[in-house]
Amino acid sequence: MLLYDLIVENKELLKIFYALIVAIICTFIVVKTHKLFKISFHNGIRYLRNAFLFYAIAFIIRYFLGVLILPGLNEIYFSLVRIFFEFFIIMAGFFLIYSLLWKKIEPEQNYYSLFNKRIAIFYGMAFVLAILDFAWQTGYFMFFSQISIFAYASIVSFNNYRKNGRKHKFLKFYLIAMLLSFGAWILNALSALYFEWDKGIMMNIYGINIIFFLLFLYGSIKVTKYK
Amino acid sequence: MKKRERLEVIRDILNSINKNHKMKPTRLLYSSNLSPQMFKTYINELISKGFINLEFDKKDKKSFTLTKKGTEFLKEYKVIEGFIENFGL
Repeated sequence: MLLYDLIVENKELLKIFYALIVAIICTFIVVKTHKLFKISFHNGIRYLRNAFLFYAIAFIIRYFLGVLILPGLNEIYFSLVRIFFEFFIIMAGFFLIYSLLWKKIEPEQNYYSLFNKRIAIFYGMAFVLAILDFAWQTGYFMFFSQISIFAYASIVSFNNYRKNGRKHKFLKFYLIAMLLSFGAWILNALSALYFEWDKGIMMNIYGINIIFFLLFLYGSIKVTKYK
Repeated sequence: MKKRERLEVIRDILNSINKNHKMKPTRLLYSSNLSPQMFKTYINELISKGFINLEFDKKDKKSFTLTKKGTEFLKEYKVIEGFIENFGL
């Protein structure tokens, strides 16, 4: 109980520490994938890089800017933090799923991965979902979008694992990462719906999320290691 | 026969130039196994991305050479290929 009490008492500090770890991991993945993209100009790598860039931005907004207690910060500031956090986290999910599907959807070579006509649709959707959540004062639109994205990503990565899992070992960890995130978003929704953001459940979600990012970090280090 | 992926085509073109040090467009077209139209698209892309250089000799004949970036791509191709396949991209 001592550890639990300690965690609960230092909740805000822990959130910052949690965000710091996630932001550092994401930055490392972004740097690594950007380097690979600069050599290969491969769109899949580019969209994966964008996903982690948006995760890093989302976590910095939510847990650094969102916990600031400074004079002059009013309700509008915190509302904007919430809208931007949701926008970036939803976009990160879209980029992640798009990195798996772009080959089937994108026949032409796009020169701009952050601003092209397909990505503009995702921006629009993410913006609308974030605004709807803000208008209704819920997080359900974000939860629903992320649960759907990670359910679909789990199916796609399961198919990839079934086809090439023996040859490419990281596909197994990729599938595990997708299933973990799918589970974390369901827990998140349940915690909001039925358990009033129970601290114990939230701690577990933070733990699962850290494992999700660590798996990608492990993959980007392991796979890019020279043999 | 399986259709070559975009990256494989690029690797094959760069490998051909690398082996021969310098290559004339016609020879490179034959070795690339691409249609003239596709060949032109790939070559333009490789030049614009700085992977190859187009050079002219004294008789104004064209030839392609590999740049530092192109050499780097060939060295890292295995890593990139492994990354794409392991992440299902």
